[in-house]
Amino acid sequence: MLPIPDSDLNISPDGNIFTLEMKDVAVVDQPKWPALDALATPARMSFKMVWKSTGEPAKYEDASKHFRFTGFRATCQMEAQVEVPSIGFSWKSDPLDTSKCDVAVIGDEVNGRYYDS
Amino acid sequence: MTSISNTCPACSRREMLKIGALTAIPLMSPSAMHGFRNQVSIAANGNTDPYPIPWLDKNGSHNQPAGPNLEPSHVYHFKGKVARCSTFTGMGTDNEGNRIPFGGPTTDYGVMAGDYWAARTTQHANLTHI
Repeated sequence: MLPIPDSDLNISPDGNIFTLEMKDVAVVDQPKWPALDALATPARMSFKMVWKSTGEPAKYEDASKHFRFTGFRATCQMEAQVEVPSIGFSWKSDPLDTSKCDVAVIGDEVNGRYYDS
Repeated sequence: MTSISNTCPACSRREMLKIGALTAIPLMSPSAMHGFRNQVSIAANGNTDPYPIPWLDKNGSHNQPAGPNLEPSHVYHFKGKVARCSTFTGMGTDNEGNRIPFGGPTTDYGVMAGDYWAARTTQHANLTHI
């Protein structure tokens, strides 16, 4: 979990487009995760992600787990670059519009103590 | 006549005065309080870090893939905007010119922008799980 500076997250006024762009985030390069002996090497990552609503409603709710999500299915694309200085490795993705993901949603959620309010 | 005896050895007037005088010494000596001033005060029920979703600890990451009917937020006691995605497909190039794909079911990202409850009050933050 990582705090996002206000300047790095943009949500369109209608809530239909989320854009997250962060630079030089400290991460770990751990190719064998989740193996218990997976080595973790310090790395840095810069990335941009764009979620766009498809307009198809999505509502997930589970009263027993105290959560309610109301929103829309979405597309999401990303571009990124990673550096692992200790092993002299770097990698850069192709442009954002060449990527795709299978599952994405955007919307509003309440859970825990806010579920019943 | 009923005899009255003192069964508490430290309860005589003289002993009580001694104890009172010893108790007052730290109050009169500013240096005696130095150690207390260096302590960092913390909230009694933890700091302002967000709570993880309680039942998502199977592998210690407090995470589950994004999917239908699965909770999008990574934070419990939360209300606000969320965005989730997983299972990316894409390509990239390393510093030696090798073409390397990225993505998979564990390529899972999330954004939460809103209020959460911690340290017995409402906190506000934009958070990401990458």
